[in-house]
Amino acid sequence: MKKTLLNLIISALILTTTSMYSQELIVKSNLENLTMRVGETFKPTSFAEDLEGQKTMCQAVIYYNKKGVFSTAKAVTVDRDKGTIRANEPGTHEIVALCIGQEGQRLSRTFSVQVDFPKAKEIKITLTSAKVYEGSYIPLEFEVVDEMNFTRKNEFFQLSSGSENIQIDAFNNVKAVSPGKAILSASFDDISTTLTIDVLSNPINKLELKASLDVSRTGDVVNYEAVGYDINGNQLEGLPFTYTFSGKAIDKSNNASGLIMNDGRFVADVIGDYMISASLGTSSASRPLKVVGRGVEREVLKVGKGVVSDKHTSDFWVFEGVDGRDYAVTGTWGADGTSFFWDVTDPANIKKIDSVKVDARTVNDVKVSQDGRISVIGREGASDRKNGIIILDVSNPYDVKILSEYTKNLTGGVHNVFIDNDHVYALSGSQRYFVINIEDPKNPVEVGMFEVGKEGQSIHDVWIEDGIAYSSNWRDGVYLVDVGNGIADGSPSNPVAFANYDYATGAHHATFPFKSKSTGKFYTVLGDEIFPDGVDENNPNITAGFLHFVDFSDLDNPVEVAKYELPGQGSHNYWIEDDVLYVAMYGGGVRIVDISGDLLGDLYRQGREIGYIMTGTSNGYIPNATMAWGAQLYKGYVFYSDWNNGLGSSKVSELKPDNSKANQYINKTPIID
Amino acid sequence: MNKFIILSIFSVTFSYSQEYYFYAAAESDDTVSLINFDGETAVELERIPVGSMKTEIEGPHGLTVDPSGDYWYLSLAHGNPYGSLVKFSTDTNRPIDKTTLGLFPASMQISSLTGLLYCVNFNLHGAMKPSSVSVVDPETMTEIKQIQTGVMPHGSRISPNGRYQYSVAMMSGELFEVDALTLEVNRTLSLDENHSMSHGGMHHSPVKPTWVMPHPTEPKVYIAGNGSDEIIEVNTAIWEITNRINTGKGPYNIDISADGKFLVATLKSDAKTLVWELDKKKPSIISNNSTVTHGVVISPDSKYAFVTVEGVGGDPGLVDVIDLEKAKVVSSVNIGKQAGGIAFWKIEE
Repeated sequence: MKKTLLNLIISALILTTTSMYSQELIVKSNLENLTMRVGETFKPTSFAEDLEGQKTMCQAVIYYNKKGVFSTAKAVTVDRDKGTIRANEPGTHEIVALCIGQEGQRLSRTFSVQVDFPKAKEIKITLTSAKVYEGSYIPLEFEVVDEMNFTRKNEFFQLSSGSENIQIDAFNNVKAVSPGKAILSASFDDISTTLTIDVLSNPINKLELKASLDVSRTGDVVNYEAVGYDINGNQLEGLPFTYTFSGKAIDKSNNASGLIMNDGRFVADVIGDYMISASLGTSSASRPLKVVGRGVEREVLKVGKGVVSDKHTSDFWVFEGVDGRDYAVTGTWGADGTSFFWDVTDPANIKKIDSVKVDARTVNDVKVSQDGRISVIGREGASDRKNGIIILDVSNPYDVKILSEYTKNLTGGVHNVFIDNDHVYALSGSQRYFVINIEDPKNPVEVGMFEVGKEGQSIHDVWIEDGIAYSSNWRDGVYLVDVGNGIADGSPSNPVAFANYDYATGAHHATFPFKSKSTGKFYTVLGDEIFPDGVDENNPNITAGFLHFVDFSDLDNPVEVAKYELPGQGSHNYWIEDDVLYVAMYGGGVRIVDISGDLLGDLYRQGREIGYIMTGTSNGYIPNATMAWGAQLYKGYVFYSDWNNGLGSSKVSELKPDNSKANQYINKTPIID
Repeated sequence: MNKFIILSIFSVTFSYSQEYYFYAAAESDDTVSLINFDGETAVELERIPVGSMKTEIEGPHGLTVDPSGDYWYLSLAHGNPYGSLVKFSTDTNRPIDKTTLGLFPASMQISSLTGLLYCVNFNLHGAMKPSSVSVVDPETMTEIKQIQTGVMPHGSRISPNGRYQYSVAMMSGELFEVDALTLEVNRTLSLDENHSMSHGGMHHSPVKPTWVMPHPTEPKVYIAGNGSDEIIEVNTAIWEITNRINTGKGPYNIDISADGKFLVATLKSDAKTLVWELDKKKPSIISNNSTVTHGVVISPDSKYAFVTVEGVGGDPGLVDVIDLEKAKVVSSVNIGKQAGGIAFWKIEE
């Protein structure tokens, strides 16, 4: 009885309270259907209104751009002092009016504000080929420059022509059908222009298609060159040929895929019979290409393991000690600040020989100096929040000693480090890296710093080779910084950036420089890190992302030419040596990939995989859950660390894989040895 | 009005056993724990993984629950480079939406007046320069403004009427009052004795204020002087320091009970918690069950304080439950490593 009465009282109180806020109100504003011009300001007024049209004034109205406060939200800005909004960029933008009611109720509504493009003052049509031949589609670009000097590319112009020798389709594709002068007319926003096109007769009497190979392996780049000759047998120069391919795969369930470039380079992904064609107008020539298996598969044998079964393992480094024996150090993740030291002299018998525990939860990265005497580990999650780095004496890895702690400017946590010639490069708070001189390892001294210097700058890793620091800066891509190479007069105390490349996904997390032995070309291999579904620390996870191969042979004009993407698995850390890639692909294990020769297109589909190692173990932290973290080739063995399993070693055999257990009905593919 | 209703409900129902629910974040495990306390024992009901980058520690730091109780909000300190605010459903404890904030977003609260969320960007590991308070509309999860305040702002708390947001700048030693409606700094006050403020210089406040908590009924705010080992009382009517009370080492976070009777402060460096009946002179000092005491929230019925304790290295974080009348720890529960942010959700009968 007492309880029922109480419930009634509570219900009455709650009803009284909520009824004050249960009126159906909507925000009304002169922002509704608002159209502005760039540069214009507008003073919005807003109020609340109920279903009967009863108006209620707001105690205050807060306006904001729904994109937030960062650079992407500058299209319409709010001046709260003046109570106005300003249109800065054309387009449709969302402005929220948040009405604070007289009794503190909040009510909001989003309004679409149209900001018109300024009126066009000039339109341009550009012919992107020096010559146009009959029978060809005419390569055109369209551009509008408006009264506020905004430029828009490839707007849809109204095209027309009174010339009978060109044809225009519904999508503004223009075809040259016969020789002669043609006038193409275009209009946009009441502005008109014309382009005179000189359609040339096809001069080709004979067309020859040259090739660097007629039989290639998957992944081999074949160079094609179309050569046209006139009626007198003279070679014609500067003809804008179009290259295409068709083909049939040996495997009937597969398609004969590949990539062909405008300059005639072609790479086939799968085994099959291809036909490569070059054409100009009605002239064309084709040439068959037989594509056979790459034949690089090798037996990969697991050799040894050093399981860490009570913690997640992070990065590792294998090194030769001062005593000539071989050792490794591994970090731990989300644990208690422990790093383990291993004797790996016999890769089949990996022995845990020492450990160091520091005030941290994660030791994400570990590195060892070239002389095998000094190790540096990064701290994250220190209880005093100072984090920084710990410098270790590893001259006797059986008895590792802490030499010093260094935290200045590194309190945000050191996610990655590198040691090079008595200097430590340590990331700071995921924004920049500091250079610390450790000639006296007990008294480290900061000597330099590098940061990208952009709004929202961010960094994940730094790697040094030949006096060049390669920093991986997420959306800002890779920065090549002279820290002693001399190419840009840089030094550890004066890091000088001299090249950069970024890409659209902005997920750039690691870099490995790669000078191809087989071609002499210089690449940076840029790795993504992506977790599309977030995290689950206690179970296997979905990962994504891949390696981007960027040809940096011309430092001023880097070109992304190829990728390595394992379906369903994302990339993490990797190693390249002798034109072979060893990449930890999280749940996909360590993949060993032949990256010899020219690189173009999708390397995974090109049958370049030599073998793989599934790095899970039955007694791992999460048993049998492969989560490969990194790989390193060391004295002929592939060492790796696995987040759930610790350290391991494998060997790539000279032998081809044992197919005795393979499905006998799998198509045998031709391989050239 | 709302506070009166809530107090009325609790005052009538005191004779029934209560179930208390709250959330606590583990900064070095990227987890948030939902904990139930039944008056005797605290139990971890669920450990919720948070963040989106498996191999990065994203550092869940600040927590707050929507006044409706339908949502909880979590600041993730680390990002690329900016941290973020994630909105979760209390029904499912699954994330609903997310927005980017500034560098190392930390503590936050929602104003009952504006419905907006005010989160300080602690910028704990950055340069010694003024940081900001991010104002977020939690309905659209849009960061609508960053209001510049001092160096390393922390302890974002809203006045009882929802009109003002208070924070303190740890390194520049200032108290900031932000007008929640105009989104401008209304007043500032230096907390260091004999010091004129200058952001241009490298002033390191000896007070190192880390938290500010408004009194529920009186025009006062209480500030944790983490560096000066004191609680500082500021009268907001006259905007002056009116009292400095010595504490143990390193007061860090503060809460005041809804009835205005108890002030509870975590003493981070001492691994202790201070419980102070504000009308009495001498506070009680209570030892916690681990080291590095961090956050505190008091149940709305003013009976219990829930205190997070970080631990060191591989130690589990934990939550100590303190009976305020008895001034003793009555229960303790382990959660993930480096337990920090804590927010009360609800009481059920």
